[in-house]
Amino acid sequence: MNFKKTFAVAKWEYLEKVKTKTFLISLILTPTIIIGLTIAPTIFSNKSETTTKAIGIVDTSNTFPQTLINELGNIKLKNGQPRFIPINLFRKNISLTKLKHSADKLVIDNRIEGYLLFLNAGTDSLKVEYRSSNTGNIREINLLQRTVNKVRIIQKLKKAGVNSGIIKIVLTNVKFTSIKIEKSGEESGSNIMMIALTSFIFIILLMFMILSSGGMLVRSLVEEKSNKLIEILISSCSPDELLTGKIFGLSSLGLTQILIWLLIGISIAASTNTIPHNAFTNLIPILVYFILGFIFYTAIFVGIGSIVNSEQEAQQITSYLSVILIIPIALIVPVMENPNSLFVQILSYIPFTLPSIMILRLNIISLTITEIIITLIIMILSIVVTIKLASRIFKIGILSYGKRPSLKEIIEWIK
Amino acid sequence: MNIIKPTKGKISLGGKPIDINFFNEIGYLPEERGLYKKSKVIDVILYFAELKNMSRSYAKEEAVRWLKKLSIGKYVNSRIIELSKGNQQKVQFITAILHNPSILVLDEPFSGFDPINQQEIKDILIEFAVSGKIIMLSTHQMDTAEKLCADIFLINNGKEVCSGSISQIKKQFGSNNVKIEFEGDLSFIRSFPYVVNVNIYSNYAEVQLEEDIQPSDFLRSIIDKINVTHFSVIEPTLNKIFLDVIKKN
Repeated sequence: MNFKKTFAVAKWEYLEKVKTKTFLISLILTPTIIIGLTIAPTIFSNKSETTTKAIGIVDTSNTFPQTLINELGNIKLKNGQPRFIPINLFRKNISLTKLKHSADKLVIDNRIEGYLLFLNAGTDSLKVEYRSSNTGNIREINLLQRTVNKVRIIQKLKKAGVNSGIIKIVLTNVKFTSIKIEKSGEESGSNIMMIALTSFIFIILLMFMILSSGGMLVRSLVEEKSNKLIEILISSCSPDELLTGKIFGLSSLGLTQILIWLLIGISIAASTNTIPHNAFTNLIPILVYFILGFIFYTAIFVGIGSIVNSEQEAQQITSYLSVILIIPIALIVPVMENPNSLFVQILSYIPFTLPSIMILRLNIISLTITEIIITLIIMILSIVVTIKLASRIFKIGILSYGKRPSLKEIIEWIK
Repeated sequence: MNIIKPTKGKISLGGKPIDINFFNEIGYLPEERGLYKKSKVIDVILYFAELKNMSRSYAKEEAVRWLKKLSIGKYVNSRIIELSKGNQQKVQFITAILHNPSILVLDEPFSGFDPINQQEIKDILIEFAVSGKIIMLSTHQMDTAEKLCADIFLINNGKEVCSGSISQIKKQFGSNNVKIEFEGDLSFIRSFPYVVNVNIYSNYAEVQLEEDIQPSDFLRSIIDKINVTHFSVIEPTLNKIFLDVIKKN
């Protein structure tokens, strides 16, 4: 292998792609999208309510309204104004159906935000409906639900003759935090949302990078193939030199991208304090899995790029790969709930899902060194095997034109 | 060249087997043209030069010299896509020859060039040939091949039709034809035993003689019977040979 030529290929692929608009766009667009996907909703939903809302109460047994009105009235907005104005909509001698009908009309006319309808009140099979034109505000609904339950408990306890001091204690939540114990004996406070968020960001970054640079690689191979530049290249250096150069060049491109993003990310985190610094404690192993995953998929894309003849064909195959890449994102919640389940364990040994799943698990549990070493070995071996296979396919594929080879032919080439 | 694997046999050059260093000795111009469209002229040339193991500084010097020689010197820093098709072809030609290869493989090198540029490229190729480079030129234009090439290898449907030096081929396939311009009646020559075929037109005739007959002997035998104003031996064109051979097969 002539390293000078490999280097020349790598340098060319790197410099020519760094200068493209596509790279610049993905450099800026990807973090923008990720921020849009992850941080923005948190910011929006964290933005506390600023308007007081009228909430109706319909309870034909009339057992709850008084206490509920007190409790709801005590909830204040940030500016000190009450958050809710509770209104008792109960009228004597009017049937429930009619009450419901007139309350619904109030909601539709926008006179009240919504109302709480008590069914079977006074019995143990109490049911409460929150009827509103907007049932999407989960925080508000949760708040109402908590308040209703609180009121029910207060009333029950009062009925049983419990004194109000004890009721107050019963209603107070214990302060509860979770601490992750690291192998080194250190402990780190963990915020489950932040863990999910950082893992999510890394996995999405990985996916975006693989898809964008893989796309670039395939496009450039298809271009070289269509104008026979590949013949000039292949009569100047060996396929292995060309392939290695391309993978190296592209990987450096990817690394540049991560480095820039990391610098931006860390500086944002440091300046705004939005992300706890311990979200980055596993940065080095995460980066290792990240880079290995990236190289693995790049090698796969080289194989794909050398068998397709047009971008459309490439996109077709790429879309299958993206599905595999998305799997870990869909699995974030189950993995977080049960990071050691058999299913998750199996996924962390399959090279396609290994990097993302390990990035996730690293942040949640303390993995054993053996586990880390085994997965790293699996990853490195898969990369070696993939590059070998890709180079076999590459050697023949780049010079065959016309029909896309069948799976049988490809297997024939690999042999 | 690594593009097609030999089905059998070995390739050697000057007694030496072809190996990895051979890459740097070869210059290749494929029939389909195209370069990295969005890249700069000089960058593309230097990339291919580096792949041929040229040092960057020397390659740059040479690139500028060739660009000037082919009168596209002002485009050094332009992007390929900004150049006209002819000028893009010139750039690609430069990438094939910049590293001073000892073997040039050119597939239809003149297609897409206007006559002036074709002449320019032809002159350069002849210069190369004189300086001792091996040039393999593939073309459909028989007259180009006839004018430029010393050795010919005719292929039809992927199979060899004939091969050898131009004069050999002409001797082999060109029949013994003469052209006579005359006054009088020439029809008597039809009775000559060594005349294979005669085409008589209003004031000239084409006569095919048997292979072993010298045209001068033939001339001597007719000169006192009619008034010959012009006599010449017709050399068949490569084009005609190609067509004749294909027809025969």
